[in-house]
Amino acid sequence: MPMSSPEPDAAPPLSALALTTPVAMGYIPLGIVFGFLFVQAGGAGWLAILTSIFVYAGASQYMMIPMLAAGLPIGTIALATLVVNLRHVFYGLSLLDRFPARGPLRAYLIFALTDETFSLLTTLPASTPPRRLALVAALNHFWWVLGSSIGALVGAQARLTLAGLDFCLAALFAVLTVEQWRSKQSPAPLWIALGAYAIVTVLAPSHALLLAIALSVLGGVFWQSRANPATEAADD
Amino acid sequence: MIDERTALAVIAAMTAVTFALRALPFVATRWLQRHAIVRRLGQFLPLAIMTLLVVHAAAGAAREHAAGPWFELVSIAIVVVLQWTRRNALLSIAVGTAVYVALRNFA
Repeated sequence: MPMSSPEPDAAPPLSALALTTPVAMGYIPLGIVFGFLFVQAGGAGWLAILTSIFVYAGASQYMMIPMLAAGLPIGTIALATLVVNLRHVFYGLSLLDRFPARGPLRAYLIFALTDETFSLLTTLPASTPPRRLALVAALNHFWWVLGSSIGALVGAQARLTLAGLDFCLAALFAVLTVEQWRSKQSPAPLWIALGAYAIVTVLAPSHALLLAIALSVLGGVFWQSRANPATEAADD
Repeated sequence: MIDERTALAVIAAMTAVTFALRALPFVATRWLQRHAIVRRLGQFLPLAIMTLLVVHAAAGAAREHAAGPWFELVSIAIVVVLQWTRRNALLSIAVGTAVYVALRNFA
């Protein structure tokens, strides 16, 4: 059994474009809001676009706007970025042997590993060629930059009239949860995650996602070593 | 007004921090792959993280209005049931989002 993510059995193959459509529905409006807010805060439009190309991390980009506008030191903003994006440290663990061993595709896939790209890539079959992985990642990246550019260029006219359109990202995560659930022998990760989030919401709501992921990692280590005590002893 | 040179420096710093976080497990690949627990965590984490992303996104949406988390719970339930039975990702997402937008704007 290879160590990669399991193959979802017989899921109908989707084109990379169809696969990233839900992400586009979320990234374009969210990107528009980012570009809009950045310009409103007094930043040049091209800087907003540059941020979306290079930083490419939604929550921390939103966070940077008021910090930048308030003239906070770079070190403070970098530290806040570290805290907000710390969860990404765990994402690579599920993709270690899925990415090519070296080369520009590897570097790009690592660079572009957002929540949504992680979700799509871990749901694709283990046999998916690196070029296709990179295409999915690049399309997502493109939607985000496209949205940011529209927001930065159109400015004040770009306000969304329908509240809740960005819920399609939550819906995408729900779909991918169902597919992950289907491909696992045990739903334990789901219950451990829900328990972790419940605990964290009560104790430390301001960093709920990061702390809940960290707690789930601990829960996973504990649960896995109970489930496989023999192999654990042999390996370590 | 945001100063361009400061903004460029901040963008560079944020890019470096974010990329370093995403790259960390890959830098330590060989070391990590020697440990079976890491392999099993790689199997365990996607479902756990995906669940957390759903809950966190829904909780964030629920904080944008005063009606409590019911819109989010109903919409997520619709997505899960549709995906479980019909297995058409775009259909599940479109219907779930449409129901949610309708609830948010017209309920």
